[in-house]
Amino acid sequence: MTATATPLGTAAPLPLRGRQWPLAPFLYLAPMIVLLAVFTYWPLLHTIYLSFVQWNMNPDQPMRWVGAANYSGIFNSPLFDAAFRNTLIYIVASIPLKVLLPIPIAIFVWTLATRGQVYRALLFLPTLFSFTVVAVVFLWLLNPIGGHFVQVARLLGGQWPNVLTDPDLAIWTILLISTWKVIGFNTLLYVAGLASINRDYVEAMRLDGASDWSLVRHLLWPLLTPTTLFVLISTVIFAIQQVFTPIDIMTEGGPQNGTTNLFYMVYQYAFRTFNVGFGAAGTVIIFAFLLAITLIKMRTLDRHVQYQQ
Amino acid sequence: MKKIRSIISGLVLTLVAATAHAQTEIVFYHYQTGAPGKTLRAILDDFQKINPDVVVKDIYKHSEQITGEVQAALAARRPVDVTSVIGKNIVFFAGATPAVALNDPKNGDTRWLDAYLPNFLDAGRIEGKIYAIPHSYGTPQLYYNKDIFRKAGLDADKVPRTWDEVIAAATQIKQKTGMAGVAHLHASMGDYGTMVMVTNAGATYLNKAGTKAEFDTPQGVAVLQMWQDMAKSGIMPVANDQQWGAAFQAGQMGMYITSSAALRGFVASAQGKFDLGVAQYPLWKEQPRRVNNSGAAIMLHAPAGPRREASLKLLRHLSRQDVSNHWSRETGYMPLIRNPQADPAMAKYIAEFPLVRPSIAQMAETLPTATWPAEGTLEAQVHIKNMLDELWAAKRPASAIVPETVRKVNEALSVNLKK
Repeated sequence: MTATATPLGTAAPLPLRGRQWPLAPFLYLAPMIVLLAVFTYWPLLHTIYLSFVQWNMNPDQPMRWVGAANYSGIFNSPLFDAAFRNTLIYIVASIPLKVLLPIPIAIFVWTLATRGQVYRALLFLPTLFSFTVVAVVFLWLLNPIGGHFVQVARLLGGQWPNVLTDPDLAIWTILLISTWKVIGFNTLLYVAGLASINRDYVEAMRLDGASDWSLVRHLLWPLLTPTTLFVLISTVIFAIQQVFTPIDIMTEGGPQNGTTNLFYMVYQYAFRTFNVGFGAAGTVIIFAFLLAITLIKMRTLDRHVQYQQ
Repeated sequence: MKKIRSIISGLVLTLVAATAHAQTEIVFYHYQTGAPGKTLRAILDDFQKINPDVVVKDIYKHSEQITGEVQAALAARRPVDVTSVIGKNIVFFAGATPAVALNDPKNGDTRWLDAYLPNFLDAGRIEGKIYAIPHSYGTPQLYYNKDIFRKAGLDADKVPRTWDEVIAAATQIKQKTGMAGVAHLHASMGDYGTMVMVTNAGATYLNKAGTKAEFDTPQGVAVLQMWQDMAKSGIMPVANDQQWGAAFQAGQMGMYITSSAALRGFVASAQGKFDLGVAQYPLWKEQPRRVNNSGAAIMLHAPAGPRREASLKLLRHLSRQDVSNHWSRETGYMPLIRNPQADPAMAKYIAEFPLVRPSIAQMAETLPTATWPAEGTLEAQVHIKNMLDELWAAKRPASAIVPETVRKVNEALSVNLKK
């Protein structure tokens, strides 16, 4: 009699009772599948459908099939070029500001061990504030008539530029405010990533005489790559959403379309002027754009990620 | 048999009693919050006391979101009976939603509409049908800080009446005190601010159908050149409405032209801080004063039947002079009913609170706010906002910027002419 052995580390397939379909896994998955189907995939499919019709959300008025006209309308819109250009700026600038900058901060906080909790709390605090409140407060701080920044600059003998009305400066102001708001959250993600690194490796490198830089370069950075990939993907996806509130409250996309982006443009079409077709077409464009960026990132960066310690 | 008869009569009696106490619920979407929200609810409660068969459920939504929220509710077939609609969206709403013409004889006696000033009904009048009645109307007026006037050596009791006087006073304030002299609201997308400026100067902002901008006339260009000069000379620091409002309330700006709806807030802010003055909107050269209303009108969407009847009862209630004046007194919105002083409570209020007089004086000088069609509106408004940004940056004169903007706006709106 020959015994068949299951190789170590591989799970034996669960026996099926006769020809019955295993129901249990699907029952366990059902709530999530239903939620995803109802609240994610159905709206996505319906949005794609709406992007090909002309409709004003009135249930008593028929939807008129217009083919790709909404897409050509969006591409020819006076807003599109500026919105697309600014979207790229928001995404590209977010990488050093929101993905890379939190790494040294997280390492600093991590080296402080329990003493770093105060810094961690201070860094995380802006994440808890409502973005609406943040935008209103920064409007006050940046007010060219007696705002705090103006007053401090005056005390120092200088002059504070009117950053929200300068087309070249306004987008960077919005970016810096959103960075201030989310940097603590991303730092916390990196601190969590660092906490999972076995401190014995650090001690071993120290005994071998490794410098701070080589510790970061050869140990922390490689072991942080899974966290970095996650932060990168989520930051890029959310980069254009995070700036929505400050754009709406502080600039309305101006000056001279200097701060608008695709996300804000879609909101304006769909909910300010009720052009559902344009709004849906813009949403599909954003979806395709972010999907492409994410796939490219996964393909190019995933091979450099160190998942095992 | 006797038992069956008593059961049947009991059931009939119960049914009759239930019908007698049946209440019709109507849903009212609005954007009033804080003190105005409480006043509105109090008015609705009074209405319910008079009409115990009607329950008014009021739903608050932010003013920037209310139009989209109402659209979403209608699309989801949730009940929407009465809505506060921002003036510029009335035409779109009338065409895109099941809005009810209020002067349709099918809706009963329509004489209650005569209580309103005809010019206040114009914003909701489309091809002879009235789709909206005024409710939360504001009018632009000049607020000024009398203390800053005195500090600058100006006579605080001599109110600037014309734009020339406003500019002269603002320049003196800037020179003598170093403070900001004046600002003029722009409102969302620069739309309302530009509309008021050019309309008061004698130009036409948009044609009645909302399909063509017409303010590239000499008057339109001249008044927008003045707006550019205000920014260029530094008497008006370039900022947005929130920042100008905050600076004025902090006592850091001499004059601010904005809606009468801000009156209550400004009075509260000025208390113990500075002496507040209010005047009518400045006159442009020899032109009579013509200012557009801001704010919202009320539209009716209730389907025919008990909900529409109950909603019409509510609208008639809101059009009563005492109710409308009460709303105006408590909120600072413009009085809407003809001859408001005929109401003793209102006459007493005006005598005791003279700061409200400019808005009452402007009742007859009010024009309906320009309404936009759905298509091309965003593109057109973006061009207007960009025009203001470029004007204030002062790299080209208004004579170059304004005609170019009007051409772009009309290009964007031309899609409505092809239909």
